[in-house]
Amino acid sequence: MNHIGQNSPLERWRLLMVMGLVVLVVGYYAYKLFDFQVVQGAVYQAQADENRTTRISVPTQRGNIYDRNGFVLARNVASYNVTITPANLPGDPSVGGDASKLTTDLDADVQEVYRKLSALIGVPASAGEINDETVRLFSPCQTDLGIAQIVYIADTNAPYDPMRIACNIDASLAMTIQSHSAELPGVGIEVEAVRDYPTGSLTAAIVGFLGPVPAGQQDYFRAKGFLPNRDKVGYAGIEATMQDVLGGKNGERLVEVDVSGQELRNLSNPVEPVPGNNLVLTIDTRLQNAAQQALIGEIDFWNTYFNEIRSSSGAVIAMNPKTGEILALVSYPTYENNRMARFIPAYYYQQLISDPWKPLFNHAISAEHPPGSVFKMPTAIGALNEGVVTPDQKLNDPGQITVMQRNLNNLPTQPFTYVCWKAEGHGDMDWIHGVANSCDVYFYKIGGGYAPDGVAGLGPWRLVEYARALGYGQKTGIELPGEASGLIPTPDWKRINQGESWLPGDTYIASMGQGYILSTVLQVLVSASILANDGKYMQPTLIREVLDPEGNVVKPFEPKLKWDITKDPVIKVFDENNLETGETKVVQPWVVQLAKEAMRLVVTEGTAKGVWENSKVQNSAGKTGTAEYCDNIARAKDLCRRGNWPTHSWYFGYAPYDDPEIAVVAFVYNGGEGASVAAPIVRSVIESYFELKAIDAAK
Amino acid sequence: MLQRETWKHFDFLLFGGVIVLSIFGVAMIRSAIAGNETLAGLVTRQVIFVAISFVVIIILAMIDYRYWSSMARLLYVIAILALVGIYIFGTALFGSARWLDTGLILIQPSEIAKIIMIIVLADFFARTRERQRNLRWIISSFLLTFGVVLWILLQPNLSTSIVIFVIWFSMLWVSGLPVKYLWIFAGIGLVLLGVFIGLLFSGVKIPFIEDYQLQRIVNFLFPDPNARHGNTYNVEQALVTIGSGGLFGQGYGSSPQVQLRFLKVRHTDFIFSAMASEFGFVGTILVLALLVFVILRCFRAASLAADPFGALIAYGFGVLLFFQMAVNIGVNLNVIPVTGLTLPFISYGGSSLVSLAIGIGLVESVIIRHKPLEF
Repeated sequence: MNHIGQNSPLERWRLLMVMGLVVLVVGYYAYKLFDFQVVQGAVYQAQADENRTTRISVPTQRGNIYDRNGFVLARNVASYNVTITPANLPGDPSVGGDASKLTTDLDADVQEVYRKLSALIGVPASAGEINDETVRLFSPCQTDLGIAQIVYIADTNAPYDPMRIACNIDASLAMTIQSHSAELPGVGIEVEAVRDYPTGSLTAAIVGFLGPVPAGQQDYFRAKGFLPNRDKVGYAGIEATMQDVLGGKNGERLVEVDVSGQELRNLSNPVEPVPGNNLVLTIDTRLQNAAQQALIGEIDFWNTYFNEIRSSSGAVIAMNPKTGEILALVSYPTYENNRMARFIPAYYYQQLISDPWKPLFNHAISAEHPPGSVFKMPTAIGALNEGVVTPDQKLNDPGQITVMQRNLNNLPTQPFTYVCWKAEGHGDMDWIHGVANSCDVYFYKIGGGYAPDGVAGLGPWRLVEYARALGYGQKTGIELPGEASGLIPTPDWKRINQGESWLPGDTYIASMGQGYILSTVLQVLVSASILANDGKYMQPTLIREVLDPEGNVVKPFEPKLKWDITKDPVIKVFDENNLETGETKVVQPWVVQLAKEAMRLVVTEGTAKGVWENSKVQNSAGKTGTAEYCDNIARAKDLCRRGNWPTHSWYFGYAPYDDPEIAVVAFVYNGGEGASVAAPIVRSVIESYFELKAIDAAK
Repeated sequence: MLQRETWKHFDFLLFGGVIVLSIFGVAMIRSAIAGNETLAGLVTRQVIFVAISFVVIIILAMIDYRYWSSMARLLYVIAILALVGIYIFGTALFGSARWLDTGLILIQPSEIAKIIMIIVLADFFARTRERQRNLRWIISSFLLTFGVVLWILLQPNLSTSIVIFVIWFSMLWVSGLPVKYLWIFAGIGLVLLGVFIGLLFSGVKIPFIEDYQLQRIVNFLFPDPNARHGNTYNVEQALVTIGSGGLFGQGYGSSPQVQLRFLKVRHTDFIFSAMASEFGFVGTILVLALLVFVILRCFRAASLAADPFGALIAYGFGVLLFFQMAVNIGVNLNVIPVTGLTLPFISYGGSSLVSLAIGIGLVESVIIRHKPLEF
């Protein structure tokens, strides 16, 4: 058969073509190899490095929060979780990748570990079924699956990461499991820091609570080194506003890992976590407690007295007017922040947000209400400072006055009657008695003017100036989220927002804090404190000191003066056409002095006389307020009857009147008369303050 | 048969190349195991298979290859029986029944079938040398091939089926397939491709093609960039592994991609990537050159062979080596979809290595008995 072709039995050109194909393909591969390894080598090298390196965030400790006496308001406590690291078990926990064989084919040693652990912690060794649905819905600590199933899921995801089997177990049980660690290979105890609030609901409105990083802020917090699925951030209160101070900074380790996520070694020096700073608040927990008891006690008393739920919310704030330190801040109703410590339970949160009295809402700083007669102070000092009346000028209160006014510019004028709260009238009133008796007619006259007496009236524009000088109509800047700014209307505001002209009657009722005027409870306290502190507006604050983790003071307390109405020209001067002249002026110190005397007279002779007569504290001053309101709740109950509207109860007071060290405001929603509901609360808080002071002095 | 004279023409260079590649393969497998305890035994097994392979080469080199020509029909029957035997005694691994458990070792009959088909087809084309190159000749050679391939397709094992068809076609070509038929083949191929794509989008079940095979093609054409496992992930990691090798490599046993097991199926399908990563461009080109050298030595044997049967055996085996190498490296370089073909001599696999050794033995037998121009 060897007769075909001398050289080869195969056609040479056909063989050469195949060889050519070999060279072509191998040449192409060599080119691709060169492209991948040499041309793009650095890119792939970087990808390979990314594969094997992982940044591990080392959790830091959040700072504690203390009250002014060092009493703990927020701290971290250890919570123990039982974990299993699948790779450290004495056998394969996922038998050939088949979940259905978990109960039959599982290694005997592994089953032994599961059984022993199950007996200790009560989680069944095997329960439930592994399928797409259960795996997708699986969440550690909140599952009905058994140990075998949980470990199976963990083993298929990250066999070297500890997986939580049972959470928040007893410390003693954790110790027991630790001591049995030799018999339980793969089982571990994870210590997790959980926020604890020893004072709970008493200070919840101030301290707040934590929650997981919100979806919308993940980038922000990730940039600060937080791990969204692990670390928690402040959601409310001081926890939220002081997040940056309390939060600290997570540490970081750059480690080499293999494909299953097992850490092999540190690639660089680890960055140690920096613990958060501690905060000392200005709050005195004892006074806070007294204030809360006084508020709730008073509300309960009247609800029982009337045999109906008349008032369901209120607020009390106590402050040192000379420094701005908030000593107590009670918002009622409130919530229990310890229930949010581990996670925010859906049913509890639902319950809170569907409660019509809004427990999550801070009634002391976020609620806006008509202030009523406590707002007579800006009218009163405005009238004196602007020379509308002299202190000794007497105006008559016959119980009601009638003025001619028109509701629209084109309508004919009509007689309109404004009444005093005292139907028979107060008779002739000078300035100081007008304030002390909270004489409505006197304030109509000095605020809106009364031609028959020859009083021009302060007018709406100038009233706004004095209200703002006393802190109304703007945020105070307290370190709590969600502060409201209140509302001090001007004629312009009414034209824009209500589409109506400002009427003389609007000035009348604005002069006594009704109508469109709204303020927060804190603003009322600030207005009183400015006058009590001789015109100095001290920044209200909850933060006394910032301490580092070792307890050294990082930022000591310094009272901050916002302005002094007797020195800083905060009052704009208007001409006769109510246009700004561009000039500004101060409030005369004698006006402020008279205002203090008037507030003292409220207690000794005026509307609050009865409340303070038998008090241990006989050197206080104050002002009552009974503010008519008609909101959606009152309307729904059909309470808004003209001439007989429901009323909020207000009172602010301070002591000692000549050298004040505490100023307190109380507000009770639908509480009725300020003198009978709010004033006793303030009295109780001020009495408690001096009692505590005596106790501290005795130590 | 055992004359001293015989060994004068033994191709020591070819044998040497195979030895170097096989030993290098063992070293590479050892590195690719990367501390995986369940795979640790594979190195020893491979060493044993390498030793067996050397013996197999020597034995087959000693046997006159012409002997196999007379055995061709018997071998053909044995191949079919072994393949059918899988359905009766077979062991299913990784989804398809490809293994025959002999009690001692698992044998993959389709590996042996490749070598048998080289002998059978070489015999067929050598015998039909005088015949006209017409359609009847082509179809009868195709049916001969299909008689074996059918059982492999049914396993299902598409890649081995393709390998055998490639051997058939390459032999058809070298035996003088008229060029006009080449165009006809190209036309048929295009039509089949069109039908295939049509079926692919119509969603009808295509015979002999499993869903996972379709998925491989889809993955190749439209990769899912977020895949964390499966073929797309494997190929992507293979590229990262190759690329991270650079010019001179990370060094033996020290490529993080390999040693930290980011690269999957490291000791078989993706051993090329592991090698590229640890030995770099320079080292890989050297190994590639050695493989090409072995292939070209087979073609040399083909052109020197004493008769067409011997020439076709050497040539067919050369094509087999080339095709397997080209497909395996192509998968590693992501130029063709993932298939299960291994890298000749280097990838782990006993059946594969032993059948390759049989092939080399046959080629040596051919070259030993060539009729040189000795006067």
